[in-house]
Amino acid sequence: MKDELSREEVLHVAELARISLTEEEIKKYQVELKKLLNEVEKINDVEGYDDEILIANWDSNAELRKDIAGDMLNPKEVLENAPRHAGNYIEVPVVISDGEGA
Amino acid sequence: MSNYIPTIGVEVHVELKTKTKIFSNSTNGYGQMANSLTNVIDLGYPGTLPTLNEEVINLGIKAATILNCKIRKVMHFDRKNYFYPDNPKNYQITQARTPIGYDGYVEINVNGESKKIYIEEMHIEEDTCKSAHRGTKTLLDFNRAGVPLIEIVTKPCISSGEEVKLYLEKLRELLSYGEISDCKIEEGSMRADVNVSIRKNETDPFGTKAEIKNIGSISNAKLGVEKEIERQTKLYDNGETFKPQTRRFDDKIGDTVLMRIKETGNDYRYFPEPDIPFVVLTDEMINNVVETLPMLPDERRKKYQELGISELNANKLVANRPLSDYMNTLLTEKTNHKIASNLLLGDISAYLNRTEKDIKETTLTKERFLELISLLEKETLTSKNLKDILDTVMESDTSIKDIIKEKGIENITDDTEIRNVIKEIISNNPDSVNDYHNGHDRAIKYLMGQVMKETKGKANPKLAMDILTEELN
Repeated sequence: MKDELSREEVLHVAELARISLTEEEIKKYQVELKKLLNEVEKINDVEGYDDEILIANWDSNAELRKDIAGDMLNPKEVLENAPRHAGNYIEVPVVISDGEGA
Repeated sequence: MSNYIPTIGVEVHVELKTKTKIFSNSTNGYGQMANSLTNVIDLGYPGTLPTLNEEVINLGIKAATILNCKIRKVMHFDRKNYFYPDNPKNYQITQARTPIGYDGYVEINVNGESKKIYIEEMHIEEDTCKSAHRGTKTLLDFNRAGVPLIEIVTKPCISSGEEVKLYLEKLRELLSYGEISDCKIEEGSMRADVNVSIRKNETDPFGTKAEIKNIGSISNAKLGVEKEIERQTKLYDNGETFKPQTRRFDDKIGDTVLMRIKETGNDYRYFPEPDIPFVVLTDEMINNVVETLPMLPDERRKKYQELGISELNANKLVANRPLSDYMNTLLTEKTNHKIASNLLLGDISAYLNRTEKDIKETTLTKERFLELISLLEKETLTSKNLKDILDTVMESDTSIKDIIKEKGIENITDDTEIRNVIKEIISNNPDSVNDYHNGHDRAIKYLMGQVMKETKGKANPKLAMDILTEELN
């Protein structure tokens, strides 16, 4: 098994995280990320491992919240925590592509 | 242009009609001041935990039932990871692996023939915040962040823009009737994305796909699909190819424009949401919800037509929910349902439109309505006279009999009374009687006119004609 990721794999992960890396960092992460993956892969050695029970004990059904409205934040408080705002809107640098997300 | 076979799939997002958001208890509302309907959960503050809204699950069960889907009894949520300012958590909570509903269908009517549009799956997820792009800035409003959504995904089984339109109309009707969503496209509570590809033959692999987003109305969905088929046809006809892409419908030019080329598939790195335990549905939970569903549009149409109501009127009633609900209270009554539908869609609708009232706000109880129908059927009341008393019928508690009496418009339906009048008229008009026996049709009309004149228009016309004919012979 190769003990490092390819340069492309590291750059792909960096792009998903929206970060830029120096040449030095790329080389460093090729090794470090591979080490992390190796650790995670150990889970495959667990006897009787089942993907379906990976997350939570599903005997304990989620307690559902009643549909009753509660307190909300004052818009002023919301805007105070944003670096910039325009009127009541939070302002961020323009995002080119549209309609991502949901 | 050559003929190609279009393959179309539709993804619809609808916002659910809950009081609060899916994972927080802040208000689910529209048209409020920006960033006034939020709390720390909607804003993705560190250390906050989501709690699942019970009503979202209930509405999910309802939607799945209405769309003939199978319901998944054990489900969980997943994180869809991406960096974008519309979601500061950097992931959207959705159901990628265990959608609440799957393998369903919706029936549409294409040129008189029924066609099933198959639903691949429908899942619950949270809406993102609303972003507006202004020059070098993007403005964010988190009122929409965390509003519950259901995404409904069809199989690629749709073959024209017209079918897309019919499907969206049907979906809107069903989800509105189920009180699952407002389905207001213009307010964004129903949003459709359409995938379109074309190919030469059924046996060919699917063609390159273009996704159309930002469709502002059902008619634009139809137009967008038709324009896209046209665009792809021209390209293939010229021997050109194109890359998978996302296009948006531009209202102003009435056509689709390129948004972005999809170079690679999205890498959302889904993984199960650890902050929300599994949701396990029991048959009892499902049945309790399904029981609350109202009668659905197709069943209403069928019932109305079985009761003698025309197809046109059945459709008109279904299109007007309050009137249709009112009609449904009469389904098991022994009455003339045809007259009932004519009245509801005619004079009563006109009254309700004129006074801007809901039928429930009037004094037209079921009992009063049944009495009205019976009087019209027996012709004690003519439809012309009905117009004179309708306002009083809708606005006062006075009995209908008394209203008619007060207005002095009661039809004479007493045989003897009419017969006496007719006998007198016959003896006073020997010339007309002779004309009648000599085959002059106009004579009987003249004599009827005399009857109506003598009774001041109150004689039941049908009864009077019967007696007159009898007496003349």
